[in-house]
Amino acid sequence: MTRAKDLDTVAPDDVITGTNPSVLVETKTSPLDRGEEKPIVKLPNNQKNRSKTPKDVVDENMAAFRQKVYDVLGKTSHPLSSFLVKPSVFKFREQDDLEEIILVMRPHWFTNVSWILTAIFMLFVPTIARFLPVWSGVPLMYQMLGILFWYMITLAFVLENFLSWYFDVYIITDERVVDIEFKNLLDKKFAEAKITMIQDVSSRVAGISQTMLNYGDVRIQTAAEIPEICFEKVPNPDKVIKVLQMMRQEEEQEAIDGRVR
Amino acid sequence: MILPDFSGYLIILERIFAFVGTGLYLIFAIVIVKQVSMMTKNVNDKFNGMVIFFSYIHLALAVFLMLMSIIWP
Repeated sequence: MTRAKDLDTVAPDDVITGTNPSVLVETKTSPLDRGEEKPIVKLPNNQKNRSKTPKDVVDENMAAFRQKVYDVLGKTSHPLSSFLVKPSVFKFREQDDLEEIILVMRPHWFTNVSWILTAIFMLFVPTIARFLPVWSGVPLMYQMLGILFWYMITLAFVLENFLSWYFDVYIITDERVVDIEFKNLLDKKFAEAKITMIQDVSSRVAGISQTMLNYGDVRIQTAAEIPEICFEKVPNPDKVIKVLQMMRQEEEQEAIDGRVR
Repeated sequence: MILPDFSGYLIILERIFAFVGTGLYLIFAIVIVKQVSMMTKNVNDKFNGMVIFFSYIHLALAVFLMLMSIIWP
C-alpha cells in the first residue's frame, strides 16, 4: 500500500490522491519493526542528474558580476603602480581570511615629483657650498663630515618621503574600504568602513596636473563611526566611484540572498 | 692690540655640534627602522623586504657617521 510520509495531518479515512512521487515511500510494515534499513526515497528522473544547484547559479552570477568590476578597473601595469587591481601579494593585518582585495591605491606618482626634484637639488648643494667664502674657513675633516652629514640628510629626506607614499594605502575589498596613512614617520592612521555603511561618494579633480593626469580626491561619506574617508590624490577617481557603486549593489544583493558574512 | 686665539674653542664647538647632530640623526634612523618594521607588519606588499633593507642600511650609515664624529680628531 502506498502511504504518505507525513501521516500526522491525514485522517485515517482520507483518500490520498495526487501526491508528489518524490515523497512516496514503499513500506509494508514498519521498517523498524522488521529491523530493515531506512526506506528508499524515490526521486524523479529530472532531479537525479541535476548539475547546478541554486547556490551554484548564484555563485556564477556573483563571479560574473565581480568580473564586470575588474573589467571596469582594467589591469595593473607594474607592481609599483599607484593603482593595483586584485594584487596577488598584497595583504593587510586586519584582513579577514575570506576577504578579497579588489583594489589597492596609493597617491598618484606625480605627487612624488616635487620631493624628487628637491632631493636632486640637495645632491648638488655641497658642490655649490664650495664657492661660498665661509666654507674655506672650515677645517678639511669637518668639511668631509659636513658633506657626509648633508648626504645623510638627503637620504633621510628621500626615505621619509618614499615611505610616506609607499605606506599611504587605500584599499577596497569586497567587504569594506580601508584607509591606512603613514605621514611624517610619526603620524599613523587607520580608518575603515563597511561597504554597506557607505552613503555618498564624491570626487574632486582640481588643477592642471590633476586634470591632465586624471587623479584626484575621492570622498566617501559613511554612516559608520568615522563619518568620512578620503582617498587623496588617487588615480582614476571616476573608476573608483563606479567600482564603489558596483560593490554597494553587490552587497545589497548579498543581503537579499542572505549571504552576508 | 693682539686678539686672543679662538680657533681652539671653535674646534670644540664644531665637535659638540657634530656629536649632537649625528646623535639626533641616529635617533631619527632608529625611529625609521621601528616605524618601517611596524608598517610592514600592517601592510604586506611586494617591496617590503627592500624597504626594510634600506631602513637598516640607513641606520648603519647613521651609526657610522656618529662614530666618525667621535673618532675624528
